[in-house]
Amino acid sequence: MYSRKLRFISLLLVTMLFLALGSSALAQDAPLELQMTWWGSQNRHDRTIAVIEMYEAANPDIDIVYEFSNFTDYWPLVQTKAAGNQLPCIMQQDYQYLAEWANRGLLYPLDPFFTDGIIDISNVDQSILDSGSIDGQVYGLSLGTNSPSMILDVDAFEAAGIELPPLDWTYADFEAIATQLHDELGIWAISYGMDDVQMWRGVYISRGEWIFNDEGTALGYEDDQPFVDYLNMIRRLQESGAIASGEEQVEASANGHENSPIVTSGEAMRYQWSNQVVSIFSAAGEDRHFRLWPLPRTEGGASANYLKPSMFLSVPSQCENPEEAAAFLDFFTNSLEANEVLFAERGVPISTAVQDHLRPMLDTVGAETFAFIATVAEDASPNPPPEPQGWSDISANVYGPEFAEPIRYGLLTPEDGVVILREQADAILAQNE
Amino acid sequence: MSKPAAALPVSGTVQQEPVQARARVKTRNKDFKQSDLAGYLFISPWLIGFLLFGLIPLLMSLWLAFTDYDILSPTTNFVGLDNFERMFFQDARYGRSVAATFRYVFASVPLRLAFALGVAILLNTKRRGVYWYRAAYYVPSIIGGSVAVAVMWRQIFGREGVVNAVAQMLGMDPVNWFGNPDTALWTLILLAVWQFGSPMLIFLAGLRQIPAEMYESASIDGATAWNKFLSITLPLLTPIIFFNLIMQTIGSFKVFTQAFIVTGGAPLDSTLFYSLYLYNRGFANFQMGYAAAMAWVMLLVIAVLTAVSFKLSSYWVFYETDVR
Repeated sequence: MYSRKLRFISLLLVTMLFLALGSSALAQDAPLELQMTWWGSQNRHDRTIAVIEMYEAANPDIDIVYEFSNFTDYWPLVQTKAAGNQLPCIMQQDYQYLAEWANRGLLYPLDPFFTDGIIDISNVDQSILDSGSIDGQVYGLSLGTNSPSMILDVDAFEAAGIELPPLDWTYADFEAIATQLHDELGIWAISYGMDDVQMWRGVYISRGEWIFNDEGTALGYEDDQPFVDYLNMIRRLQESGAIASGEEQVEASANGHENSPIVTSGEAMRYQWSNQVVSIFSAAGEDRHFRLWPLPRTEGGASANYLKPSMFLSVPSQCENPEEAAAFLDFFTNSLEANEVLFAERGVPISTAVQDHLRPMLDTVGAETFAFIATVAEDASPNPPPEPQGWSDISANVYGPEFAEPIRYGLLTPEDGVVILREQADAILAQNE
Repeated sequence: MSKPAAALPVSGTVQQEPVQARARVKTRNKDFKQSDLAGYLFISPWLIGFLLFGLIPLLMSLWLAFTDYDILSPTTNFVGLDNFERMFFQDARYGRSVAATFRYVFASVPLRLAFALGVAILLNTKRRGVYWYRAAYYVPSIIGGSVAVAVMWRQIFGREGVVNAVAQMLGMDPVNWFGNPDTALWTLILLAVWQFGSPMLIFLAGLRQIPAEMYESASIDGATAWNKFLSITLPLLTPIIFFNLIMQTIGSFKVFTQAFIVTGGAPLDSTLFYSLYLYNRGFANFQMGYAAAMAWVMLLVIAVLTAVSFKLSSYWVFYETDVR
């Protein structure tokens, strides 16, 4: 009886051995599998998949398996992969999370690949590489540059008889223009985003400060008054109906960029990051005239704009073939053919050679975006450091629900609000000490 | 079978006896084990699934509730009751999410049950095409939890949606249904009421159990329809009502999709349902330990509420078996 069992087990073992041998022998012939994940719109999915196929055609020994989703679902997806040691070899990363991921040892530093020449950075500005570096090591290769912008509906400005503002317009200019637009046209001057965290950043960047201290252990500014002044302006505009109220903003921004009021001439301006304007421009149609403008700034202050890497590609440290992944990063960044397909959809490409190659082919939106980035670059404030650990908590659980929303709904004054914001943000940041 | 082996009539020498006995015992044990094994094998697909995706995650989440687990960090620290302390004493959003959830449950469950019962009574007639109606009314609850319906709901109550269009035709001002904290929750409650299909089906089954003779004799005694409903239908239906109440309450506490898609918890956290907040904390803010603690509190609350319902049920639920 025992011998029968033994025979069975040894048979099983032999079978498994053969299977293992077989699969490893097969694996040597099969192309090397690299995984890639990104977030984005359908447009981006189509472009990225086309480039992946292009790369696979040129490199038959590589097989890129991809997974994509929207931004919100992307982070649970990759976090779960991280927990299961299943991170892809090529991963789209975001500026606000780069530090958290790099500090936890989840990403390879890319500098060795620059030195090896696997990734060619000869056409990339050092400041762009710096934007993806944490403590002197580059952990993310920027995929494009963008900046927060105001879309101005030139036709609406003309109809209201208002000239386009100067590029260095102030908050006072903004208030005057918004009031005038509303009075003349009876529509909102702007329906969305005036209480966005970007405006918080903007108020202090414009003053040469940053909302967090260098250590990321507390807020980085002493004076709450400038932000109080800004919010009181928003409240005045809201009360006069020049901009959408808190209630109206929820409704007006419920159905995606393509359905935003500026598309249907329900607002004359719109706040949007410059790499997100494509869908709005195309939804509005060819016969409309939109311009991209920098954000307003404080009186006599610096620009509230800065050049931000729109997103990165990173190589997670769980990847077994980092060199192969790096080679793909190089293709993505430097290949002219690939970038003809990607077509600056992730922001203005970082390689100057690619920029020059694309410029003659640009359509209206592309040309406007390239021009806007060039305009911003002239007096852009320096790119602020990535947000400290705890930022997602602050932005999701403090800034909106405890501060901006109650202010927009008239339940809280800006004066009381800034106290709460500071208190609660500091409490979260204190954990970084 | 249970007789001791030594008591069995055996032939042969004395020395043989224990040998045989041992052999028999062994065989019996083996038989037992094999049939046991077969049984386990048969339920193994379920068993493996339950262990891997049920019990183990359950126990792990209990452990995680006392840690600062955030998925990404290499180290996870035991933090004792910190998560619970933060939940009950520091987190203002937690209080709001509990309030929103209770408001939703206590408004939507009675409304949904009343609606389901009403429709069930209407459909419990022998009219032509009643089967068709039954199917038609059940459809919303099949598709009701889906993303598509949530998206549709957003369109219906949107700024330019059907509801506002009708309101404007009637000369009323359009309402920001999702923007106003007073109305946003009600749009979701309405969505819940609309998905009355499954309690309705159960009510229908219950209604058909009530003997027709009771109604007949009541009619002979001159009872009105309303009298019959109050004195016959309702009392005999109480076990069904109770069952539906428990199931719907538990289901409503776990509501997620509708708020996630339609409102995202806005405005002013008025639709920030418990599961949605839990999901946000865990997956958007990386605070998986805190989220696990929240989940266990929810489990306890539901368990306590269910226990209380069962306790109270003896006062109003009528089982026919009680009489017999």
